[in-house]
Amino acid sequence: MQALLSFENAPPFAAPLRFFLTAPLFAVLAGLLVAVEGPAVFASRWMPAALAATHLVTIGFMLQIMLGALIQILPVVAGANLGRPLLVARIVHAGLSGGALLLAGGFLFGRPLLLSAAALLLALTALIFLGTTLRALIGVPSTSPTIRGLKLALLGLAGVVGLGALMALGLAHGWALPLAALTDLHAGWGLGAWAGVLLAALAYVVVPMFQLTPGYPARPSWWFPVAMLALLLLWSAAVLADWPVLVRLVQWLAALAGIVFAGLTLRLQGQRRRARPDATYAYWQFGLIASILALFMLSTATVWPAAADLAGWTLSFGILMIAGGFMSFMIGMLYKIVPFLAWMHLQNSGQARVPAPNMNRILADLAMQRQMKAHAAACGLLLLGAVWPDWFARPAGLAFAFASGWLGWNLLGAVRRYRWHAADIAAKLAAR
Amino acid sequence: MSHPKTPHVVDARYMEPPEPFVKTMEMLDTLQAGEKMLLLLYREPHPLYKVLKQNGHSYETELLPDGTFEILISR
Repeated sequence: MQALLSFENAPPFAAPLRFFLTAPLFAVLAGLLVAVEGPAVFASRWMPAALAATHLVTIGFMLQIMLGALIQILPVVAGANLGRPLLVARIVHAGLSGGALLLAGGFLFGRPLLLSAAALLLALTALIFLGTTLRALIGVPSTSPTIRGLKLALLGLAGVVGLGALMALGLAHGWALPLAALTDLHAGWGLGAWAGVLLAALAYVVVPMFQLTPGYPARPSWWFPVAMLALLLLWSAAVLADWPVLVRLVQWLAALAGIVFAGLTLRLQGQRRRARPDATYAYWQFGLIASILALFMLSTATVWPAAADLAGWTLSFGILMIAGGFMSFMIGMLYKIVPFLAWMHLQNSGQARVPAPNMNRILADLAMQRQMKAHAAACGLLLLGAVWPDWFARPAGLAFAFASGWLGWNLLGAVRRYRWHAADIAAKLAAR
Repeated sequence: MSHPKTPHVVDARYMEPPEPFVKTMEMLDTLQAGEKMLLLLYREPHPLYKVLKQNGHSYETELLPDGTFEILISR
């Protein structure tokens, strides 16, 4: 862990923490929205409430955690030092939180003004983040697959936000855009070139480190990010040229690349030397299996397009990929990062004279394992909701809100115990 | 454990942090002038690089096909 989040280069705890503590609130909001709107949310992916809930999760939850974590770990996984990390964190956090709410409101209430404001705010926030990180990374040579992956993932971020902003403005102003094709492309840039490549780049470091597994073999690690970016560029060209056969071929290849990455990660986890499986391991296993299922659905739909017209097919893909896959990977990592950061800052404040408490005292494994079961149950109910919305939509929304609230509660508890120990250490030092 | 590049090797590939860092610093202390040591890890240790630079050590890193980073550090 120390290698991931070093003492010296670490930004203040407040920099990443604001992202990690607000992210669960957006997921709670998404769940409550599903519970309130009920079966109508699951009628199709184009329902305003479905679009709103999706973006509360992808921007409010996922993007928050991804950018917050990057601000924390870029110095350590890439040796790239961000200038003024706390200021960047404050601006990016405010932009993302405001942008996610505006966008969800814009979809839900069909207000062009809200959609335009969301598009501009989110684009500006992404530009600020990209400008800061590119400046930090520009002099850093790509000496590892992780560094190359991080650089390419930032291109993916530019792609997904650029396309998203274009579509939101297009919707607001009634521009004639091929929205269906662009939406798939936007999702491809977001889940493949951005989230997928970022996940792989970080997995190369954290999977061997967290689980004591063998390393990822070098050659595929170098190629996966490049292949994903190339596929997304090809997919974009195919949309511009209006060539649907090429779009399907690219989707099939992207799904295959994702399955190979997930399968390889499962194999590495099977060879781990850590005896006791912890919450992070369980979350990753669940996430890997869910994403492999989602990617099989995607590849099936590329060779048999009628599948996508089956009731609940596309929604099930999204639920498996986003709630089952990416959210699980992220929560699993948060459960390592937050207790570690708390421990590290306590260790520093003890000045080697007062020891920091054990990490398990800051966030107990049992609390994380139980919350994980709630998240898994919520994913199951959401899938049932996609197929039988009349029966399961509202319970699924409530279960998702409950599991996400529990995550927030666990993280908040860790911060509360951190503050208690920090005060305790300060008092002990003063008494010496 | 020995290696063609040097007899002084820390194989930290299945060690939990901060053990790789601690073991490397310990071995560096035992080296004579002109000697080199090798650290094996499944990641690039950027925080260690920073400390090595600050202490005037030079290092070369090679990524092997199995994902091992071989970091050859000069005393």
